[in-house]
Amino acid sequence: MENVVELKNVAKKFKGFAVENINLEIKQGFVTGFMGENGAGKSTTIKMILNLLQPDAGEVKVFGLDYHSHEKAIKERIGFVYDGNVFFEGLNLKDIKRIVAPAYKRWDDDLFYKYIEQFELPLNKAIKTFSKGMQMKASLAIALSHHAELIILDEPTAGLDPIFRRELLDLLQELMVDGNRSIFFSTHITSDLDRIADYLAFIHKGELIFNQSVHEVAENYALVKGKLDLLDRDTEKAFVHIRRASTGFEALTDNSSEVKKTFGDRVVIERASLEDIMYYLKGGIHLG
Amino acid sequence: MVNLIRRDVILQKKYLLTYIPFIVFFIIMESHPALTFLVASIFIPFNAFAYDEKAETNILLNSLPYTRKEIIAARYLGAIVYMVLAIGLTSLALLAFGEPFTMKDIAIGNSLFLLFAALTFPLFYILKSGHTFTVVLLSFLILAGIGPQIVIFLAERLTAITDFIARFSVSTLYTGAGVIVMVIYALSWGFTAFIYQRKAF
Repeated sequence: MENVVELKNVAKKFKGFAVENINLEIKQGFVTGFMGENGAGKSTTIKMILNLLQPDAGEVKVFGLDYHSHEKAIKERIGFVYDGNVFFEGLNLKDIKRIVAPAYKRWDDDLFYKYIEQFELPLNKAIKTFSKGMQMKASLAIALSHHAELIILDEPTAGLDPIFRRELLDLLQELMVDGNRSIFFSTHITSDLDRIADYLAFIHKGELIFNQSVHEVAENYALVKGKLDLLDRDTEKAFVHIRRASTGFEALTDNSSEVKKTFGDRVVIERASLEDIMYYLKGGIHLG
Repeated sequence: MVNLIRRDVILQKKYLLTYIPFIVFFIIMESHPALTFLVASIFIPFNAFAYDEKAETNILLNSLPYTRKEIIAARYLGAIVYMVLAIGLTSLALLAFGEPFTMKDIAIGNSLFLLFAALTFPLFYILKSGHTFTVVLLSFLILAGIGPQIVIFLAERLTAITDFIARFSVSTLYTGAGVIVMVIYALSWGFTAFIYQRKAF
């Protein structure tokens, strides 16, 4: 399977914050969800994928090419949607198109107008008069109109109402009918991922915790409940994080088959939702 | 690259309507033609920075298939392109008002413009965004207001320098000044490109 994006041992340091040792692969032809709480390093990672930030160490490859010698070729093939509006807010969509379109060799005017119609966007109104949802649709229309192979969205659903969030996710799914296309989007809303992601990457405090298919995540991660006397220094190693109460423990494991082997029927094993995983991982990474 | 330069006109469409009255104002006020040429040249390139110093604009431009070198090159080449257009327009306006002007006025006005651009463009990429535009605008107005007086004042006191300069012929002086300005402009370009290459957005 081909990777559209490969990050190898990537690190970037800021004052008071760092992402370290990021090894991330984004598979071609799939939707990869990039999850993590606010401030975990999602935007930093995305900016490095887009060369808005240059890593202090490590290697970033997009479509197998590096930015050093293929910057333009890479960006021709990427469509981007950011959290906030990056387009000149005083301009209307028609003028923004006049600025953005000539930058791309494969810009498709018909496609652009098709999306404008589909999203019901006004062409002659300044972007700043748009609602958050409309701004998102406008960015998306621009991102989709040059036949991009990789679409990168940074928190596209943040601040959108639930109905529109669903519409957006449906739309992203439609885009995937084209088998070559890949989508990478970051979010801290886990229900978005349940709906459309094929792969999940989870970042926590600047560190990539996992990068697996949805299937693997469901298989490996589980919530385990049982009596406190089952826990000792050895058995605890199977868990990522344990919450103890007088009535018993509840823990997250990233190796549910191992837990089954160790504890058998003495514990209850439940499917861990993405929210569970985020919640427990936030509680602290177990060093075992 | 041409698209990046053309972008300034699309962005400033509305301001362009005030462009002609702006030039006319300077002509009616009987400003020195060189100053009128200078002011007319400054209009578009410096207005453009009001947009370009915003972080969002840099995120947009750098996400599009442009290299950072091209973005800066468009700034410096664009300033020259708009300067040439400004020369044409201002000349027409001066002719229309029957105001006499010489090639020397054009040369002085534009050398001053290029010098001013060379010295201030890097500031937009070094300083924190938001204030550069105001700082540069104010410094321009102050310089334009008291600059000539300072030069005259210095020329009267520092006779050694004026004597030295007076030894050259007028044409040598102009050519020399022109070359120096162009060298400074090129250095400024290189310096800004170097800084922009390392910027994080």
